[in-house]
Amino acid sequence: MEAGTLLLRPIVITAPIWNPKRRSFLRRCVPALLRSVRASSNLQGGYRGPKPRREWAADLVSENDDVVRSMPIYVGVLSLLAVLFNRAVSGIAPVADASSSQSRADLLTLGLAVTNILTGLVWLSIRPKTILPVNPDGVECQKINSFLPDSVVSELLWVWESLSVATCSRSLVIVYDNNFIFQTGFAAASSANYSEVVPVVPNNLMEGSLYKSVLKSGSQSYLANLSLYPGKSELPFLPPNTQAVILQPLGDKGIAIIGGDTIRGFTTSDQAWISLIAEKLDATLTKFLNKPPMMVQDIA
Amino acid sequence: MSSCLCSNPLIPLGVRANTFDFYLRISNTYTRKRKPPTILCTRLDNSERATARNQQQLNFSVLRFTFGIPGVDESYLPRWIGYAFGSLLLVNRFLGSDSTTITPAQLRSEALGLSLAAFSIILPYLGKFLKGASPVDQIAVPESAEQIFVMSQAIADNVKEDLAWGTYVLLRNTNTISVLISVKDTMCVRGYWNLPGDVSKVDALDWFQEQIQQIGLSDLEDILYFPQGADSELWEMLPEGTRSVLVQPVWLASKGSAGQVDRTDGFILLASSISYAYSNKDRAWIGAVANKFKG
Repeated sequence: MEAGTLLLRPIVITAPIWNPKRRSFLRRCVPALLRSVRASSNLQGGYRGPKPRREWAADLVSENDDVVRSMPIYVGVLSLLAVLFNRAVSGIAPVADASSSQSRADLLTLGLAVTNILTGLVWLSIRPKTILPVNPDGVECQKINSFLPDSVVSELLWVWESLSVATCSRSLVIVYDNNFIFQTGFAAASSANYSEVVPVVPNNLMEGSLYKSVLKSGSQSYLANLSLYPGKSELPFLPPNTQAVILQPLGDKGIAIIGGDTIRGFTTSDQAWISLIAEKLDATLTKFLNKPPMMVQDIA
Repeated sequence: MSSCLCSNPLIPLGVRANTFDFYLRISNTYTRKRKPPTILCTRLDNSERATARNQQQLNFSVLRFTFGIPGVDESYLPRWIGYAFGSLLLVNRFLGSDSTTITPAQLRSEALGLSLAAFSIILPYLGKFLKGASPVDQIAVPESAEQIFVMSQAIADNVKEDLAWGTYVLLRNTNTISVLISVKDTMCVRGYWNLPGDVSKVDALDWFQEQIQQIGLSDLEDILYFPQGADSELWEMLPEGTRSVLVQPVWLASKGSAGQVDRTDGFILLASSISYAYSNKDRAWIGAVANKFKG
């Protein structure tokens, strides 16, 4: 009911909670940091076990990905030319028959060169396309329902921290049991006043078809390229240039909407993690709702 | 050290049944829930399935050669060809020609051939580290180790739930077969572990605590990752067939500035039966789970 939702005053904690420069630096830095921590083996303070070897091959290849991918082709072509050159220089006619041991050795070497060229072509063909992230066009905010106890609040903050570090998420909205719970990250700026955000109205969301279909199916819905979906008008609170959205039902009473800044930016691993985290959130929120005082009681 | 809980998952623990027992379920085979990236070959029937999966992942434009024999991984083809042709070159050298009439041209061409063969042999190893490479091995469940699930007894219900959920999620979403979470003075062990036969379930936690003291894991300050070659020789408690081990410290919640090393509160230990099991993304998520237990 309208009266009920008006009683829920969200706490508005304005930006900058999340300094975008620090965050993107952190995100770019995290893989490099993790690798170097592994390799530095700088362990003090009583750890008496063995230290891992430095994985130079893995590091070298991952850092010079493009060069390594085309290397077999160069090696193959060069050795092909070398075989022919060898034949020409030593005065043997370039006839590919297996009569003399020289020709046989040359044929085997040619076969190996061709294998290398083909492997290089396969490696080039499986190169993943890099898609650039798009900065969301909105205002940073963090709003939490004021009726939530500290334990629930810390869990929600933990969820947001994990999502923003491990995935490409830039916005998060949680609505549970017809109540607004949590909104953080980037949100759409309202057209009237650029520093204010478009509010999340749970009733409008619940009546929309996106919400209904997600709750009916009971499983996560991943809109990998939001610009292709007409249903994006039901999510006015997300920045208009949000690239990918995950709609995750929380049990059968709530929904978590996660917006990302890259098309197809959420991997299957991310999706699995998000659905398991959603189960945990659902358990926590249900436990809170079952304990008095309930938010819904305020409506009466 | 508090006593431990029996490994029977059916014993109720006096918390909300539907959520907690859910996390107590131990599936018998920890199969990887993630499907490997598409291996689309020129066969037409795979194309729709592959394009659907392509939508969800990084866009691989894939055209791969395959024999179509299940269980045979064609990314190792250069290695087999390298061995085959290399040995044929040697056969040619010693059986196919008189040792007196070997010309320098033939020597040069054989040297080139052998070095190409060596290069082809290491090619699949290098290919494993490229972006977009799919891990070849499936998780092998060790036969000799047994599955256990023990947790410290005298802790609050919400901590129990967090530990159960954390271990469940780590076993399910990463290539892990065994997990140990130790935070402050609570501990939870789940999965396949190499308990010696004379240690009963009741003393299991004490035995693990002893092992941890010996290695000094609770004082670890950095992430420790052994991508290959970790086994029972490394640490006695790891099950046989472990290939990679990751230890993630749980940092104390503190207001230190970035870059300062904070005191650690505990650690999460993960063991897997495949090498290079934890990619950067996996480690980011494992760090997120570790943050749940801090503070």
